[in-house]
Amino acid sequence: MGTPGQLMFARRLGSTAHLLIWLLIGVACMVLDTRYQALEGLRSGFSLLLQPARQFMRAPIEVSSELSGFFTRHRLLQKERDALLAERAVLAVRLNAANEVARENTELRTLMRLQTRPGQQVVHAALLYQGHNWFSQRITLDQGAAAGLRRGLPVVDSIGLVGQVVRVYPGSSDVVLVSSLEQLTPVFIERTGQRGLVAGSGRGQLELRYMPAHADIREGDRLLTSGIDRVYPGGIPVARVSRVSRSQSSPYLRVACQPLAGLDQSRAVLVLVAEPEVTAQ
Amino acid sequence: MKVTDQAGVSWRFILGTLALAVLLEQIRWSGLALVLRPDFVLVGVLFWTLHQPARIGFGAAFFLGLLADFQDGVVFGQHAIAYVIGVYLVLYLRLRLLQFDPFRQAAQMFPILLTVQLVVLLAGWLAVSPPGGLAILVPVLGSTVLWYLVALYMRLWHGRGLQDKA
Repeated sequence: MGTPGQLMFARRLGSTAHLLIWLLIGVACMVLDTRYQALEGLRSGFSLLLQPARQFMRAPIEVSSELSGFFTRHRLLQKERDALLAERAVLAVRLNAANEVARENTELRTLMRLQTRPGQQVVHAALLYQGHNWFSQRITLDQGAAAGLRRGLPVVDSIGLVGQVVRVYPGSSDVVLVSSLEQLTPVFIERTGQRGLVAGSGRGQLELRYMPAHADIREGDRLLTSGIDRVYPGGIPVARVSRVSRSQSSPYLRVACQPLAGLDQSRAVLVLVAEPEVTAQ
Repeated sequence: MKVTDQAGVSWRFILGTLALAVLLEQIRWSGLALVLRPDFVLVGVLFWTLHQPARIGFGAAFFLGLLADFQDGVVFGQHAIAYVIGVYLVLYLRLRLLQFDPFRQAAQMFPILLTVQLVVLLAGWLAVSPPGGLAILVPVLGSTVLWYLVALYMRLWHGRGLQDKA
């Protein structure tokens, strides 16, 4: 029983006391994190710790999907290549027209002495990790501060707006999805040009808020970013209206929308790096 | 009491299993697999709390809870508090839990795992915002099944080792 140098009947703290102590520490952590944002250093530490693990765990899954894709999808790949070539031809024509319009636009802007629009740089990033989406929907990308990312930058995929960078670590960054609860995006309706505010409702859905009951809006309307917040550049597709209903109790329409971008399904995304005045909401 | 000899398990094995659990959570789970994914780390911590309470307990649970908070991008402390409560419940019911065979043990663990998840839900609700639905409770099922498999495996593997020694 008692070894030398140890009290024979020394009492150790019971498990209830341990529980209370750790609960206090836990509550202190929550307060420090929510009220004072004092634990960002710890978050960076965890990201440095887990980054190599995530890169490492990504490899075997990619290898296995490569292997299974290698044999079965050759025909599919050829088809996809043909489709992409055709699409590229169409895009090249459009790009020429767009270049022409952009040139004309800068000329007109200089004539009218308006500020020129900032140039846009893009950073390619891939989906590195996805946590549970119970409280906020977010994904982790494999590019971070080292690639020039900052808080507040918009993230898009080939179809539309994915979300906004909220946390930047040295080698990775967290992106809150456009469908996340309480994430607001200023948009306009493509057909009518009316401006509005889209809010995430969780569960991968969006809602267009504060649309007056007489507003001209139909199912199938596309919503694009309006650019008035100076966070998102204008004209990025965000969502398509899926349902419009009137409620008796509220003067506003209830407009449900489906996000257009793949959100957490899209594996490769672009981060739009604009001029540095951009801030997160 | 067959499984719980203090000598048979090395630190290396315990830390190895916990590291494996953390690694498994670093895979990019998505879609339905993410919803159903058992909480590997929680099951690991509670399992070792049950079998090696002198080694793995509140401190480890708290640290791994902070890790889970980081993974899900939620406020720090949310999972940590829940894991610590889970450890307390396992310690409280330890002697009772050890008497059951793996299947019944898993059935007894279900309410404990459910409590842990409810604490996560409640803590997040109080600290930040209401969660988007009750999908938060689904992983409890996965965790219970995982517990059953782990307990079964350990019982078979460990039990045979003991018989060989005897």
